[in-house]
Amino acid sequence: MTDMDASDASDPPIETRAQYVPLNHILLSFLKLGSTSFGGGSVGWINREVVDRRGWISEEKFMQILTVALAMPGANPVNLAVYVGLQLRGYLGAAVAAFGMIAPPFVIILLFSITYSRIASYPHAQAVLGGLACVGLSAMMLTGIKSASRIRKNIPGIAIAAGTFVAVALLRLPMIEVVLVVVPLSVGLCWWQERAKRHG
Amino acid sequence: MDDLGKIISLVLICVPLSLMSFGGGQTIHAGLQQQTVEVQHWLTSREFTDLFAISKTAPGPATLIVALIGWHIAGIWGALAGTVAIFLPSSLLICGVGQIWQRHHGSIWSNALEKGLMPVAVGLILAGAVGVARIADLGIADGVAIAATMAILRYTSLGPYPILAAVGGLYFLADLAGVAT
Repeated sequence: MTDMDASDASDPPIETRAQYVPLNHILLSFLKLGSTSFGGGSVGWINREVVDRRGWISEEKFMQILTVALAMPGANPVNLAVYVGLQLRGYLGAAVAAFGMIAPPFVIILLFSITYSRIASYPHAQAVLGGLACVGLSAMMLTGIKSASRIRKNIPGIAIAAGTFVAVALLRLPMIEVVLVVVPLSVGLCWWQERAKRHG
Repeated sequence: MDDLGKIISLVLICVPLSLMSFGGGQTIHAGLQQQTVEVQHWLTSREFTDLFAISKTAPGPATLIVALIGWHIAGIWGALAGTVAIFLPSSLLICGVGQIWQRHHGSIWSNALEKGLMPVAVGLILAGAVGVARIADLGIADGVAIAATMAILRYTSLGPYPILAAVGGLYFLADLAGVAT
């Protein structure tokens, strides 16, 4: 808006909010993203599609949307799809994008499971599935470690993360009750820190 | 209508988990495992681990494990009900809160929410990993496979399919050769 950087001057300004995106374009894009995306990788694919290839929203807007999508409960790629759809075409856009993101993997996962119950009787299938579970576990642990490194300079944050981990993984307390206690505590603490920062 | 009862129970399990799944779908695994294996006894630990493996092999969010659980307990209607119940509440929430958030971007409350939810997500993701590791009954070879896979994921840009194929193939060959994993 006020940015008059020389490198940006050559690019035509994209009026993303005023752009009218047909619902079937949203549906097609997200059906494609839904059938090709994998957990953590899909954020990158969505960014590529809606910002670079389609030019539906700006990079800056995408990052704001991404922060909200990551911070809110729900699967990140689905949250992202819902929010992008909402920005483009309101609630109908959100519904269409979410459907596109969920329907292909829903069908694929059921096909996988039908095949699975057939292959489970093969003698070596259990060993292979054990190996696949290890890959899933690796991806999950890496995500945990990556996100943990983002809070490594934040001592109260580490304490909250450690407390949540101990309560759920070691003490095996019910997750929802733990979250209901820990989230207000953590957000309240951050609010207090933010306020203290602003008021000197 | 035993199935209907199970579907209602599944929806009642999924709706709160949907609203609590901070940090993505992986955070709900600990809660799902508790409810489906330990409380409802719909699945054995072994079956839950298998569904976890399938949900990680297929594309799409890890949250879709609820479709498999629904399918397991009540067929296609169970799968549909579980999927809607796990995605709809969080999606409605992001529509509502997202609009408010966008309006108040940069305020103390939105900053506090962004920062405060992060550590909770970290704790839940790691707890979910431990929960799966616990029921998967891992051996030393599995530990090596996990460490190697994490290194590959961290330092290369390989997609999940070649890694899954390679690890699955290695486990198949090891099992064929009679090596205990």
